[in-house]
Amino acid sequence: MIELPPVEPGLLATALERFLAEELRASGMTGYVVGLSGGIDSAVSAALATAAVGRERVTAVALPSSTSNPESLRDARSVAAALGIALEVVEIGAPAEALAGVLGCRDDRLRFGNLLARLRMVALYDHARPVPALVLGTSNKSEILLGYSTLFGDAAASVQPLGDVWKTHVFALGRHLGLPAAVVAKPPSADLWPGQTDAGELGFDYPTVDPVLFCHHERGMGRAELLAAGFPAALVDGALAAYRRNRFKWRPIVVARTSASCINIDRILPRNPER
Amino acid sequence: MPNAASPRGELVVALAQIATCPGQLRHNLDRHLEMASQARRAGARLVVFPELSLTGYLLAHGVLELAFGLDDPRLAPLLDASRETALLVGLPLREPDGGISNAALLLEAGEVRGVHRKLYLPTYGMFDEGRYFVPGPRLAPLECSLGRFGVLICEDSWHLSCAAILAQDGVDAFLVVAGGPTELDDGAEPAGSRRWHWIVGATAVTTVRPVFFANRCGWEEGVLFGGCSWAVDARGGSLAPPAPALEEALVVATLSHAAAARARTLIPIPYAERFDLWRSALDHERD
Repeated sequence: MIELPPVEPGLLATALERFLAEELRASGMTGYVVGLSGGIDSAVSAALATAAVGRERVTAVALPSSTSNPESLRDARSVAAALGIALEVVEIGAPAEALAGVLGCRDDRLRFGNLLARLRMVALYDHARPVPALVLGTSNKSEILLGYSTLFGDAAASVQPLGDVWKTHVFALGRHLGLPAAVVAKPPSADLWPGQTDAGELGFDYPTVDPVLFCHHERGMGRAELLAAGFPAALVDGALAAYRRNRFKWRPIVVARTSASCINIDRILPRNPER
Repeated sequence: MPNAASPRGELVVALAQIATCPGQLRHNLDRHLEMASQARRAGARLVVFPELSLTGYLLAHGVLELAFGLDDPRLAPLLDASRETALLVGLPLREPDGGISNAALLLEAGEVRGVHRKLYLPTYGMFDEGRYFVPGPRLAPLECSLGRFGVLICEDSWHLSCAAILAQDGVDAFLVVAGGPTELDDGAEPAGSRRWHWIVGATAVTTVRPVFFANRCGWEEGVLFGGCSWAVDARGGSLAPPAPALEEALVVATLSHAAAARARTLIPIPYAERFDLWRSALDHERD
C-alpha cells in the first residue's frame, strides 16, 4: 500500500511560523485571533502563531455551547496554558439557542451545527476588529479536500497556515511542538453535537484516507489505479465522492464575469499593496 | 593583495538573499539598500539580488502598475548605491514597444550597464509568467568593469543550453538569479532548493565556470521560496556555505578569474562543445 510521504516537522513548523509573521507584517495588523477548540488543528495553529509573533499578540478564544463536550474547554485551557497565552471564554450557547428559535432550526442537527460554527466565526471576527487582528484559520488540507467544514463558519479565516498540510502531518507537527498529549491523541471532532467525530461522519479516519487523497490529488491516480494499488473500494469511493461533492467549498464564491477587468480573473493583484 | 576591481584578479561577490513583498516597493527597496550596505562593508564589489527583487515575484497583473522603465526615477537610490558597489537587481521592465519583460539590470557607477530579459517564462503548474511577461529576444553576456557575466533568470538555467551558449561567449562567471518556489518534504532543506543545487553544480561543472546563485526566501501570497543561495567554483566546489532556507542572508564569496582559467586548462570541456551536433539537430527539426 502506498503511504503518505513524511515531512520534516521542524522545517515545516519554522516555515509556517515565518508565513504567519510575514502575513501579519504585510497586512499592517497587530495580532492574531484564534478559536481554541481543544483539538489539534487549532492547538497547532495557535502554537505556530505564538512562536511567530509572540504570545502577547495572540488572542485565544474558546467558544463553547450547550452541546459542547466539557473536555473541549478543559483541553483548550491546557493548550493555552502550555503556550502561555490568555484564553477568553465566550459562551455562544444562549445566542445560538435564541437564533435557532427564530430560524426554527433547533431540531435539525446539521443546521444547528452549522449555526454554531458560524456563530464562532462571528465571535472571532468581532474580537479581531478592535485589536486589529487577523483571524487565524485552523483548517487542514485533508478536511478542505473532503469539504469537511462549514462554509463561512470554521472555513472562514484571514490566513490558513495548515491549509496545505495533511492531517497526518498536523499530528506530526503537534508532537514536534510538544502540545499536550491528550490533545494530540484524541479523535478529531468538530464538537457540534454530543459524540460527533470526524471519522464517524466521514466513514474513515485521516491516517487511513490521507494516502488515498495524496495519490489522487497530487499524483493524479484515478479510481482503477487506486484499487490496483490495494486501497479498499469503500475507502476509495467514499473519499472520491467527498472530494468531488464538496469541491465548491475550495472556491466558495463565483463572480459572474461580464467585463474585461473581472476581479481575480482579468485582474489578479497582490493582496497587500503599499499603503 | 589581489585587486578586487580587476577583471583578471579576484572579485568579491555578495548574494543578497532577501524576502521581497509583492507590491511593497518601499519595503523591498529598503532591503536592497540595507543588503548593499552590508555587502560593501564585507568588501563586495558586486551584489547580486534575486529575480524580481524590487517588486516581488507573484505580481500577476500587478506588473501593469509596478513595471519600470530604464529611465524610471524610482531607480535613483539604486543607481546611487551602484557608485560604490555594482548591483544586479530584478524588476519587471516596461518595453518601449509594448510588453513587460522579467529583467535583471546590471548597475554600476550610477548607470545601467546591461539588461538581461528572461528567455524562458514558465507557464505550467503554479507558474503563469507567459501570461504577464514577454520573453527576452536574445542571450548575451552582461559586461561592466568587473567582468563579463552570464546572467540567467531562474527558468533560463533549467535549459542548460543557455549556459552552454554563454560559455562559448567567454563569460567569466554565471550570475543565476531566482525566485524559486518550493515544497517541503522529509529533507532538512526545502525540496526545491535541493534541485537548485543540482542545477548550480551542473552549470558550473559542465561550463567549467563559477556560478553565483541568488535565490529569494520568504513567503508571497502563500507561496514559499526556498533560499539556500550558494556560490561554487568552476569545479562545483563551495566558495561559501549555502545560505539558510528560510532567512534573509548575505553570502559573500570570492571569484578567482585565474583559478577558473586554470580549471578550464585542465578540464577543457567547454572548448570541446560539438556545435555541429546542435546544427544537425536544428537541420533535422526543419526537415
